[in-house]
Amino acid sequence: MTEPALKLEQVEKTFDKVRAVDKVSLEVKTGEFFSLLGPSGSGKTTLLRIIAGLETPGNGTVHIGGRDVTRLPPYARGIGMVFQDFLLFPHKIVAENITFPLKMQRLPENKQKEQLNWILSLVRMEGYEDRYPHQLSGGQKQRVALARGLISRPDILLLDEPLANLDLELRKEMEVEMRRFQAELDIPFIYVTHNQEEALTLSSRMAVMHNGRFEQVGAKLDLYNNPKTRFVAAFLGSPNYIRGHIKRMEGSIAILDWRGLDLRIPAPANATAGDKIDYFLKHERILIQSLRESEPAKGENRFEGTLRDIIFKGQHSAYFVVLENGEELVVNAATEMPSLKIRHAVEVGWLPEAGDAFLKEED
Amino acid sequence: MVSFRELRQSPNFRFVMLTLPGALFLLIFLVLPLISILVFSFWRTESYQLIADWNIENYKTILGQKTYLTFMWRSLVMAVSVSLVCLIYAYPVAYLVAKRGGRYRLILVLLTAAPFFTGIILRVTAMQQILGPIGLLNMALQAFGFEPIQILMYSNVASAIGLVYLWIPFMVLAIYLSLLNFNFELLEVAYVNGAKPWRAFLEITWPLNWIGTAIGIVLVFIPTFAAFVTPRFLGGVNGALYGNILEHQFGATGTWALGSAMGVVLFFICLIFIMIIWRTINLQRSGYTGEEF
Repeated sequence: MTEPALKLEQVEKTFDKVRAVDKVSLEVKTGEFFSLLGPSGSGKTTLLRIIAGLETPGNGTVHIGGRDVTRLPPYARGIGMVFQDFLLFPHKIVAENITFPLKMQRLPENKQKEQLNWILSLVRMEGYEDRYPHQLSGGQKQRVALARGLISRPDILLLDEPLANLDLELRKEMEVEMRRFQAELDIPFIYVTHNQEEALTLSSRMAVMHNGRFEQVGAKLDLYNNPKTRFVAAFLGSPNYIRGHIKRMEGSIAILDWRGLDLRIPAPANATAGDKIDYFLKHERILIQSLRESEPAKGENRFEGTLRDIIFKGQHSAYFVVLENGEELVVNAATEMPSLKIRHAVEVGWLPEAGDAFLKEED
Repeated sequence: MVSFRELRQSPNFRFVMLTLPGALFLLIFLVLPLISILVFSFWRTESYQLIADWNIENYKTILGQKTYLTFMWRSLVMAVSVSLVCLIYAYPVAYLVAKRGGRYRLILVLLTAAPFFTGIILRVTAMQQILGPIGLLNMALQAFGFEPIQILMYSNVASAIGLVYLWIPFMVLAIYLSLLNFNFELLEVAYVNGAKPWRAFLEITWPLNWIGTAIGIVLVFIPTFAAFVTPRFLGGVNGALYGNILEHQFGATGTWALGSAMGVVLFFICLIFIMIIWRTINLQRSGYTGEEF
């Protein structure tokens, strides 16, 4: 059995009595693209800095490549890191920036040159060796930063919101590129981001972080489809948020009173009649059609409403439907739906399991 | 005929009006005295009178007689050592204040300039009270039964200590102002990429702050090279420097022409020093990110 590339055990960090990172344990295998996703202040950057050795954990251990590095300074950890604002050395040309880690390892010049040529072709920056960072565009800077992080073939590459400062088009391009680098080099990437789209696009596995803890760790589809906690359900996919209380139980199904509408939802564990419930329903899981276009399936929630607005988003559009109880649902569906007209009546429907129900947390 | 209104709109006119006060000030208080010194340096003095008798004897004296060259050499050694000591001492201070000073850093930096609240004579006299034979340090040593430290009394070392004390605020301030614009995160990048702290300093901090450091060195070097008050108070009988000899020409001996020539030589040595420092500055290599030259 091979050692995991990265192993965290019960890692803790406290700043001024605030738990920035709270007993986090994690294993990342070689070749994984792992994302740490969380809103700002969730502790994800602090955790990354602990892995890098830029912060010392109050408790717990960090293993990289099977080696305990908890007490080692960053320069002895054999890692690469890419920072949010690229942080290229402004007084060094591209070639010097990229070979910096090799220079620190005192690798012979000809070896450095060899490695440089290899990485330049990987990140497609041949011909830019003699430029200064301020002569590069944002995307080029990012490629140089990635090359610097990867040139010494580190045990892991840490990335701290590397795409946050790029515009959308470049971000899409770099997402593709980063997946390519990761696949070609087989180096595990630990990728910190607050952008769920990025995390869902890039990673194989991910962790959602909140208040210094891991809410859920797993394959990205699993997190998206089966959120285990209220926070993950509310965060991933920015779903419709439905509040109500349980009228009665029907086996594994609970009947929710949603401001006058009866809604069938999967009953959360230990739920009883009268409990307050938060139900999260992703936009793309809702069927939208003109009135009585199809019969409801068995157990399906089916409601009539008025189409308030359609926002065109390219391949799909967002449909805003106001139901009889005054609540509004956002539905994602194909753009070409000529039967749906604004201010006309429509029907929405979904199966109870399409959404995720949680007992309301007491504030 | 151009009306006054039109004239006022002209960019050339505005430029002239805006630069005139500064240019006039420099002309009257810097350029004219320098020219007069240059002129005097080619004259000669007789019985305390300047005589417009053009010659280069003064320069022959300064550059030909061993005495003058010795004093010049002493001042040069003094200026280089004082600059070095100031640099080594000021860098950590400026670094610490810039990095860890937080909201007190402005106050901390201004405190290093606190000695400037009093005059130079007072400060040098204060140093005398500490280093001199009946000064605090040696009195204390004697009181505890130790020998007084001879080298601290009326010597070039005492002068050097005094000069370091006098000019170090310039060095601290110059390095501090440079570090204010330095992105300390770049050091974290260096550490993560395998640089030990000392290596990171040499690779990143030093080159990116070299312009500020160089300004600090120039600001210490020049007044030290021209120093005469400090060596007179602290240097003792054998502690005279180039500045003391220069001052002597305008005082006791009244040889203004020779003094002027010494002044011109001093001016050119400082100019050469500034040019040497200037040659070491490569804007690109200092992280300058503006337009290309």
